[in-house]
Amino acid sequence: MEHVIHANNLTLTYGKDEPIITEANMKINSNEFVFITGKSGSGKSTILKSLYGQLTPKKGSLNVCGIKINNANSSKLNLLRRYLGIVFQDYRLIADWTVEKNVMLPLIIGGFSKVVCTQQAQKLLKHVKLLHKADKYPLELSGGEQQRVAMARALAHNPVIILADEPTGNLDEYSSEVIWDLLKNAKEYLGTTVIVVTHHIPSTLDIDYKHFFLETGVVYEVS
Amino acid sequence: MKSLRNHLSVIIPLFVTLFSLQFIFLINQIVDSYSRTLTKDYSIVVVASKELSQTTIKNIVSGVKSIEEISSKKILDKLKDKISTKNISLLKTSLPKFYSIKLKSFPNEKDIEEIKDKLLKIESITKVETFSKTYSKIYRMFQALEKIVFLFSIFVLIISVLLMVKQMKIWLLEHQERMSIMTLFGAPFWIKSAVLYRLVVIDSLISTLLVSAVYIFIPKFEKIDTFAKSIDIVIPEFFILKDTGVLLIVSLLFSLFIVSIVIRKMNRQ
Repeated sequence: MEHVIHANNLTLTYGKDEPIITEANMKINSNEFVFITGKSGSGKSTILKSLYGQLTPKKGSLNVCGIKINNANSSKLNLLRRYLGIVFQDYRLIADWTVEKNVMLPLIIGGFSKVVCTQQAQKLLKHVKLLHKADKYPLELSGGEQQRVAMARALAHNPVIILADEPTGNLDEYSSEVIWDLLKNAKEYLGTTVIVVTHHIPSTLDIDYKHFFLETGVVYEVS
Repeated sequence: MKSLRNHLSVIIPLFVTLFSLQFIFLINQIVDSYSRTLTKDYSIVVVASKELSQTTIKNIVSGVKSIEEISSKKILDKLKDKISTKNISLLKTSLPKFYSIKLKSFPNEKDIEEIKDKLLKIESITKVETFSKTYSKIYRMFQALEKIVFLFSIFVLIISVLLMVKQMKIWLLEHQERMSIMTLFGAPFWIKSAVLYRLVVIDSLISTLLVSAVYIFIPKFEKIDTFAKSIDIVIPEFFILKDTGVLLIVSLLFSLFIVSIVIRKMNRQ
């Protein structure tokens, strides 16, 4: 099977500080569902940042979707990020864009026509049960609703990989369920690779997954 | 209200810059046209003891357009009744020759002095009258005005650039969050910066239209027109399509250049 992510002796640091992640090895195949867990400050989000190219490896190598992150220039990073669907812990929705336009963002970047963008955004908003709030602005929504919009945005362009940072961190049971269903469906029906950083793997999730556990900067694969 | 203030912070410096630029063009045209009128009216009068050849003068003094002999017939005609024909013939031969020299362009004082010196070196020329003071006074005033306007415009341009850079930075900070989110989704530079470029294009258009409107209506004010006529100048016509087009191109290039520099600089930081 093809590796969509391949980290070899990956060491990550912020500036000249002590390494956050030391010599991590990870192989993630296409269409896998992956959990990265660990205590707060263990470097889970740092790994995610390196996967979308916001943090360059200090040592070792990191390949995502065939693009070597170590020496990727901005145009290669732009290309890589168009393969990814990212769900941030703090949602990162554009405040002065409507919910619908926020969902359209990856499609606008991808150069799709307005009709396609609108149709796809409405379809996804229907999936996350927020179609009735398409014309609202992010700040008019609750935290759970904003996270569902962020999830719809991440799925809009049928990405190769979804990277989700604590996607259900502060959500109620209903919103959490919607999010997990969407991630599960993305893997099962769209063949997407899903990588979720979380404190806690939901016990009700009925899916095969790979699990990496982080402790003091070391990545362990849990069998 | 905030948005209007933001736009005005770009529109005002752009307006001032374009206004100054158009003013430089206007003053240049006025000085040119005035200089053409002066050149047409201006001539150097030369008194010579014998006939001068055009080629001799043209070889010695460059920039000569034409040399005409001033006929002494009128003076002699007046004397016809008072003195005998014989004396008239004698007078005719002993009278000096008068020439009027027209130049291709209006000379400055230094040029006039040089021309005068060169002409006086020709043996047969006994006197050269340049009338320089009368003509060059207003012309010099216009030339000084032209230089003052140019210097003032450079000063205005510097202030405008600084004001615009400051406003672009404010815009950029306002849009930074949106731009960073777009970056995380792989947006290319032109998509991320599209909002700023759009704002700049709109403001350029507004400033250009305002400046054009001012220059279209300026000559229509009676007081200005009367004043211009009183000092013998013609306010050049503002050609709506051509001049507005030039102003729009300058305005767009100027503002797009500044916004691009600011975005690139902030991105690098």
